[in-house]
Amino acid sequence: MSAVVVVHGGAWAIPDELAEASVDGVKAAACEGFSVFKRGGNAVDAVEAAVRALEDNAVFNAGHGAALNTDGEVELDAIIMDGNTLASGAVSCVRNIANPVSLARAVMEKTAHIMLTGRGANMFAESIGITTIPTETLVTEYERKEWEKHKNYVAGVMEDFNSHWAHDTVGAVAVDCAGNVACATSTGGIRNKMVGRVGDSPIIGCGGYADNFSGAVSCTGHGESILKVTLARLILSQIEQGKSVADASQLSLRYMGDRVRGAGGAIVVSPSGQWAATFTTERMAWAAVESDVLWYGLDPNMRLKEQFST
Amino acid sequence: MLPVLVVHGGAGHIPKERSEKSTAGVCSAVRAGYAILQGGGSSMDAVVEAVSQLENNPSFNAGCGSVLNVKGEVEMDAIVMDGKTLGSGAVSAVRSIANPVQLARLVMDKTSHACLTAEGATQFASAMGVPTVPQESLITEYSRMRWKKNLAPDANPVECQMGKMGTVGAVAVDSDGNIACATSTGGMLNKMEGRVGDTPCIGCGGYADNKIGAVSTTGHGEAIMKVTLARVILFHMEQGQSVEAASDLGLAYMKSRVDGLGGVVTVDPQGHWAARFSSLQMSWGAAQKDTLHYGLYTGEHFTQRIDVPH
Repeated sequence: MSAVVVVHGGAWAIPDELAEASVDGVKAAACEGFSVFKRGGNAVDAVEAAVRALEDNAVFNAGHGAALNTDGEVELDAIIMDGNTLASGAVSCVRNIANPVSLARAVMEKTAHIMLTGRGANMFAESIGITTIPTETLVTEYERKEWEKHKNYVAGVMEDFNSHWAHDTVGAVAVDCAGNVACATSTGGIRNKMVGRVGDSPIIGCGGYADNFSGAVSCTGHGESILKVTLARLILSQIEQGKSVADASQLSLRYMGDRVRGAGGAIVVSPSGQWAATFTTERMAWAAVESDVLWYGLDPNMRLKEQFST
Repeated sequence: MLPVLVVHGGAGHIPKERSEKSTAGVCSAVRAGYAILQGGGSSMDAVVEAVSQLENNPSFNAGCGSVLNVKGEVEMDAIVMDGKTLGSGAVSAVRSIANPVQLARLVMDKTSHACLTAEGATQFASAMGVPTVPQESLITEYSRMRWKKNLAPDANPVECQMGKMGTVGAVAVDSDGNIACATSTGGMLNKMEGRVGDTPCIGCGGYADNKIGAVSTTGHGEAIMKVTLARVILFHMEQGQSVEAASDLGLAYMKSRVDGLGGVVTVDPQGHWAARFSSLQMSWGAAQKDTLHYGLYTGEHFTQRIDVPH
């Protein structure tokens, strides 16, 4: 079986000035994730590597480049899940960490728990030797400016989500040659969110889910809507009912639009290597690598390909 | 068949000397919640009232009587969900609040978010005028004794966890056919600081949808999360399973796939209800058509008129 990595850089109305950098970023992250396979890594290693690349890229709202909360601070959420064992790890509202996805993985592998939050997550990071970094190193000039501009988070996300100030989540899904699937999602959340706000990203079944018997999903979009419909789990339940990965994603995103009027996107892989990148927002930067081909897109129905090279 | 309310006081194994108190507490919470439904109140009001009563009762692991984390402190999780809008509110790792379930409802009603965590949740509580209570007022002699016992190097907190009734929760359908769920917990005995369990995670600790039904779960939190137990049971109901069969299928799947035990209370829009568990015991109670139902061991099902004092 051939391995596949799919990544997204967030589903939202990506402005033209960020378009090229977003597409370049997801392409690089997909390649980074896929190259892990060439070094003998598994699906969990691949999604972690891909999401780390996105977290390190200041274009995306995760890790470096994260959105600021109402106090002008960075609070990060992330999840990782191993479809073989259903084990998962998550952190919510963690501060001063460059790669929350790796901290989430440490929660999965080094604790008896699945999720750590707030100060407890930071204390755990410290106890296992993960470096704490100053908030300012995570904040970009672009984000600080946008935050100043939109300081009043009162108009309501429903009306505004498709306008130009949302700045979303990153994620990756992968299947390795052994048929193991995994997902990872990481975010800085909604700009001007309340202190302590936890979105969909770190919530299992919402921001992501992975199960070797059905597939892996990473979601992006309006977090509160994704939570309401437990989007990742919903997509996989459709796949369990016999739908293709593309149909399951489309049906579930349409359901989220009809039922709670939320827009978003999802990337999905099945254990047999079928994959899809689907969104109901204006744009979503995504990229996928399979069999030495790199696929990518940004606008609806845009699907470009080039030769993958490490 | 409507209205109906079902309450649980946690799945696990409780010492005999505590079982009577537990049953009495659940029955009195059922009465309080059912009185609201009979008075024409909403299912949301009823489940919040029932769960608040259990939080206030030191016999249960929620609010006063919560288990202590590894540092001997109380950190609580809670969720509410409204089946009409799919709106939900949750708090995780919140401290020094008497009724986390009421704070979760405020998150749903007063913010555009679905979950607030740790210090952010506490900040929100004080902004809403929710009084802070001294941590000591939430700690019982029993919970402190069990915390000390579990600090021993050979202690097994996961096993011991099932030695006390876990989480509390309720599901209800009101006369208008609106469905709600609520779940609240002190979490897992001797958990790490900042550990978040299944309870505040939508689809894990609870889920409510007017079109399908509602579930509140209890048991081994990490196992419940891995299978998103509440959502899985509702998927089975969407596929035509009865409340009882769907609950049993969900619990059996959790046992076979991730070796986890737990319990659930489930309702559907017609008012069918079930209280099912794979653990040794679960204290549960239900009210429908002026009859109070309750039980503790597998197969136990007592009934009496609801206006007869326990």
